[in-house]
Parts: sequence; structure tokens; C-alpha cells
Amino acid sequence: MSAILYYGEPNGASFTVLAALEESRLNIETRYLDLLSGARHRIVGLTDRVALDMGVEGEGPVLVINGEAMTESVFIAQYLDEAGAGHMQPKDAHTHWQMLMWCRRVTERAAPAAAFLGCRSNAHTKLAAISEAAFADLTAHIVSPDLKARWEALRRGDFQQAQEEDSIAKISDLAALCNTQLGDGRDWLIGDYSIADLVTYGWLAGMRGIVPDAFADRSKLAVWFARVEARPSVQRALAHAIAAHPGQHWAPGPEINRWG
Amino acid sequence: MSDVTLYHWEPNANSGKPMLALMEKGVKFESQYLDMLNFDQHKPDYLAVNPQGTIPAMTHGDNVLVESTAIMEYVDEAFPGPSLMPADPRDRLRIRWWMKFMDQWLGPSFSMFGWKYFVGPAARQKGEAELEAAINRIPLPERQIAWRKAVYGLFSDEEMAESGRRIGVGIKMLEAELVKRDWLASDQYSLADINGFNLAYALPLSQPHLSNDELTPNIMRWLRKIYARQAVKDCWALGRTDMVKRVEILEQDYIPPKPESEGIAKGIGDKENLAR
Repeated sequence: MSAILYYGEPNGASFTVLAALEESRLNIETRYLDLLSGARHRIVGLTDRVALDMGVEGEGPVLVINGEAMTESVFIAQYLDEAGAGHMQPKDAHTHWQMLMWCRRVTERAAPAAAFLGCRSNAHTKLAAISEAAFADLTAHIVSPDLKARWEALRRGDFQQAQEEDSIAKISDLAALCNTQLGDGRDWLIGDYSIADLVTYGWLAGMRGIVPDAFADRSKLAVWFARVEARPSVQRALAHAIAAHPGQHWAPGPEINRWG
Repeated sequence: MSDVTLYHWEPNANSGKPMLALMEKGVKFESQYLDMLNFDQHKPDYLAVNPQGTIPAMTHGDNVLVESTAIMEYVDEAFPGPSLMPADPRDRLRIRWWMKFMDQWLGPSFSMFGWKYFVGPAARQKGEAELEAAINRIPLPERQIAWRKAVYGLFSDEEMAESGRRIGVGIKMLEAELVKRDWLASDQYSLADINGFNLAYALPLSQPHLSNDELTPNIMRWLRKIYARQAVKDCWALGRTDMVKRVEILEQDYIPPKPESEGIAKGIGDKENLAR
């Protein structure tokens, strides 16, 4: 079996899979992608790119197995855990359900908000600075019109105030939820250290510099951040960074819920 | 007496997923039918079980579970019976990818048509005062927004056009995927098939110009194969409205292409043409 894990800066979805790979102890080749250059859409040698082109997560990591591109960071993390060491998901069915629900809470509500705020703060200026022709070339290989539309909105700087307020509220809500969840003295969010911790850290860590008010007076959450960062696997995942501050690197992420 | 209770609406879309998963596993459960169009899901008795007021929900002993796809995964893991997830991690990843794609990208587009042409008109029969009171009881703010959009027909032309585009793309993707294997996303009947069937079983009724035996023979083969399962018969027997009759189109050996106008587009207020 030939497997390659393509990743961006260890932030958001890419952090999740890099940390999961380190925990899995699998020996899988990793390759860096500059997500904001559109490199994810120029991966060569793919025979089956359905997931790559139509993934809900937007610009995130890609696991290529025998030419088949597979996406969605939580599911890639589950794959790495199930193919590898197998200790990042609760064995009990109900606790596992709780972990899945937590991951959905993060990826469906907080992740689109984080990508919106991160892109507004850090990615827009870079995209706005490139020429029309270069941008057209960058997006030429994006098959999904809705993902392409998110790239175009980002370059235009189309940031609605209502979306900004909603996104800040969603980040603040998740920070508050984490703080409450940790309030009973537990070390980790759901059961033992799990994919829920990776996903939450990935999407929230970079938000500390963008919406600092969301993290003020959240002492349990602050201790948890430090606890996650102390894990050797997390340190190895963060060591994949090319940039000095990976938490400042964002690319168009999941779609904001069309139903409101 | 079973220690499992499932709170559900018709065997369709989100309600149908855990219903069929339980049937396939052979799990005995108490069925608690909620009339979604009567806002049963926002009444105190049900909110005491699921404070979010979403359907479906399942109780197993003292545990309360919500969200249809996550409930299905729980059902598969918590109970004996035939496994509804393959052992191969790569197959499991592909199945989860397809379920998320259907739950979050394709399904909401079907829902937008279903809500615009069926849920909204049906709910409006209640009168404005009763409707507003019912909507104001909905616990989740985003669900209040969704119900208001549906009830008052607030979906924009652009939103409907985008949903129509996604349905067209999604049908082609489903057909292409089912060319590869007998089942969706793996070589065994799985949660992806249960999820997909609940999304797609009425396609030849709602989108007869896009899904039929000429244009999507693999989707039709797949739907008929699932429809033949005893669990589907048992599951659909729990429906209480004419919606359950729609699945009977799969008894036809050949479904020819029909004009778009014979699908949901002509069915404003006609529940027989509900896509989802």
C-alpha cells in the first residue's frame, strides 16, 4: 500500500491529522502543501479525486492511498488511529458517540467561524496582492464551484459584519463550552486523550491571537492548552511548521451553514 | 420491554436512518412517533427527553443520543448483530466521507426543496398566531431561522438555484461512485447505504429528469437492492402518512426518464412529490 499524507501548516485541520499521525505510530510519508497557493489542487498522480474536489472541509489535509485522495481531517484522524496504535478513540460506544458529537460541534460550528476569522485576518491581504492572472491560475484546478466561490470572496474581502459577529460568537461559545467541560477537573475533553482534543486544539489555538477576548478568564481552558502542547506527539506535529507562527496561516475552510 | 426508545417522524431522511439501522441490527425498540408538522418535537414532553427539540433522538437505558448519523454509529457499536461498518479503516474513512457529504452538502439541498414545497405549505395551514407560538418554542436559534424560512417561503431564488445545482452534481457523483462497487463506498452493505437510501429513495419521483433507469442505472440498481431488504419493509411499516407510499416506486422494473415538470417542480404543496 502506498500512502502519503499531505498537510498544510500545523493549524486547523492539518494540525489534527499531523498530531493523529504522531500518536498512531504509523510510518506514512508526509508532504507539505502551501494551501494558500492552491497547491492542494495541483497534487499529481491522483487516480481518484472525488473527495479532494468535493470535500466539505475546504482547504485541508489530504491522505492519498494508492492514488485515491481522501479528505476530512476528523475521518483521516480516525483512519490513522484505526490503522495504527488505536488509542485515540473511546472503546465504549456511548463515550465514542460523545467524542463524535464533540468533533461535529467543533467542525460544523467553530471551524467555519475560525476559517472565516483567520482568513480575514491573515489570508485576504496575501490573495489581494496577487494579479488577476495569477489568481485565475491558482483557482483553475478547483472543481467545486462553492469552494471556488469562497476563494473569490476571500480575495475580494467580502466579509459581512453579521458573519464576523456570528463567527466571533461561535469561537467564544466553544471556548466557554471547553472551559465548562473541563470544570469538573478532568484532564481531557471526552474520556481519555482523544481526537476530540486534537480537533479542538487545531481550530482554537490560532484563535487566541485573533479573538483574545474569547479566551479571557477561561483558566481551565488555558491549562488544557498547555497540557495538550506538552505532549511529545503534539510537539512533533507542531515541528512540521514551515512558518514561524502556524496559527496565523489560514485558507478557505468549511462552508458557513447555508440554513443560517 | 426494550430499554431502547427511538423518537422519530416518518421513515425518511434523518428519522429513517436510525430506524433502519436498528432494524438491520435486529434491535428491539419502542417506537415513539412525533408528528413533525404538528410541532410535536417542540412540546414539553419531548423537550424533557431532547432539550434541543431535534428529531430523531434515542434513549438507551439512561443515555440520550441525538444526531441521526452519530446515533447510527452508536447503534452499530453498542449492539450485537450484523456489522454495518467494514473492518478495513480505508473503507470506514470512505463511508464516513460519504455520510458527511450527504449530511452536510447534498442533504440540505434536498431539504430546501422539501421544506419550500411541502413543510412550509403544510405548516402554514395552522394560521400565523399558532405558527409564531410554535416557532418561538424552538430551542435552537438556527432552527428557528430555518423554520421561519420554510414556513414563510423565504428561500431566495439564488438559494434554490444553488440547491438545484448541488442536487444535479450529487446525483452524478452518486451514480459514478456506484459504478465502482455494488454498495456505496465499500464492498459491504453499511451505514453509508442506510444513510444514502434515506436520502435518495424517492429520487425517481422528485427528480425524474435526473434519476431514472436510463440516466442513473446504478443508482436504480442500488435503491432496488436495498428496498428488497426485510428491514426496509419493517421500517417503512412504521410510517403513518402517505409519504411511505413513495418508496413503492422502486417496485417498478423500469423507470423511464420523465420531464422535470413531473417532479417536485410541479408539486408545490403536493406531498407526494417531496424529495426529502
